[in-house]
Amino acid sequence: MRFLLISICLLLVSCASYPKKQHFQLDNSVSKSIENPYFSDETKDYIYKASIDVYDKHFGGLLIIKKINEQEHRVVFTTEMGNKLFDFSFFEDDFKVNFILDELNKKILINILKKDFKVLITEKINVTNRFSEADNHIFETIIYNKKHYYYFNENQLSHVIRTKNGKENVQFLFTEISTNFANQISIKHNNIKLQITLKSITQ
Amino acid sequence: MRSIVFLLFFMCVAVQAQTKMSISEAETLKTLVKSQALTTKTISSNFIQYKHLDFLSNDIITKGTLAFKTPDLVKWEYTDPYKYTVLFKNETLYINDEGKKNQVNMGSNKLFKQLNSLIINSIKGDMFDDETFKIEFFKIDNNSLVHFIPKDKKSSKYISAFHITFNTKGDVIEVKMIEPSGDFTKIVFNNKVLNKPLADAIFTH
Repeated sequence: MRFLLISICLLLVSCASYPKKQHFQLDNSVSKSIENPYFSDETKDYIYKASIDVYDKHFGGLLIIKKINEQEHRVVFTTEMGNKLFDFSFFEDDFKVNFILDELNKKILINILKKDFKVLITEKINVTNRFSEADNHIFETIIYNKKHYYYFNENQLSHVIRTKNGKENVQFLFTEISTNFANQISIKHNNIKLQITLKSITQ
Repeated sequence: MRSIVFLLFFMCVAVQAQTKMSISEAETLKTLVKSQALTTKTISSNFIQYKHLDFLSNDIITKGTLAFKTPDLVKWEYTDPYKYTVLFKNETLYINDEGKKNQVNMGSNKLFKQLNSLIINSIKGDMFDDETFKIEFFKIDNNSLVHFIPKDKKSSKYISAFHITFNTKGDVIEVKMIEPSGDFTKIVFNNKVLNKPLADAIFTH
């Protein structure tokens, strides 16, 4: 019986929401309108040298992101030699595969990429809750039915955490930031061995 | 009306810059390129690669060097704006991605095998295979331009045409690979040196 109680307690603790576990303080005094500025300039071609480590395999290529207009972002991945591997269009509530190499045309892979890139390119964040913790302002939002936490430090977006069952699932880290531009981005998955590292080569 | 006349005039001029070759001219070019390919034992060259995507404001420019040694050693080395090397050797593709080394066995991969022979043939320009390509010959200024259009459905899904430009000596000076979407990769060779001895060490991983 005691054992059962303990396990129920543990279960409750482990099911606690992510903000609770991180000891965030609810803080509704901060502004509700936040933006991710890193892919928001229509005049800019965003070109990154990409490294993808999945399980023990390593792939390289170029990730090309362009804001076409207020409604659309294009995300294209090519090899270093220029061969296109995939070409996606993201719209506000829609997603389109313009091209994908037959070998990569797997629903599960497209879904992972779609969810990750959506976080990178989404500009206007619909905030559902606001928190603070130490020097950070943290904003909760929902993207593709998953809770995401946007960390702002001194008004600069430093990272985004996607959670699953109250646990950190994917981390998006923006570093070497210079005026609305992240020179380095890393996307790290916790439940699968997948890490995407992006280094800007924007010319 | 006058502007239409001007427009037509300029269009004529633009079209004139690229004229179709006669059958005998095409045969002469083929013979020249083939004999050049036969006597080419090594190639070393600088290159500039332009990746054109219609939606981008500017082409993505990368630079590097190419080394080729007969029969089938090829090394593409990108040096700017990143370091990345691909070496085709013994049916294996060796990749050095800023120090991270990787290899792909092409023996089991038909696509890579095709890619490899395509790369070697396009460097030398010897792709005059009527069974694989529909081939069209043009003259631009003093150079020759040949369009190779893949006949195979699987290839044409990825590449709608190769446009190879040759100089008067029958050397490849530019290779353009056009995707069905119209986006393309253009590689322009410069400081190309033929038959300079190349040490085997260049082709080690």
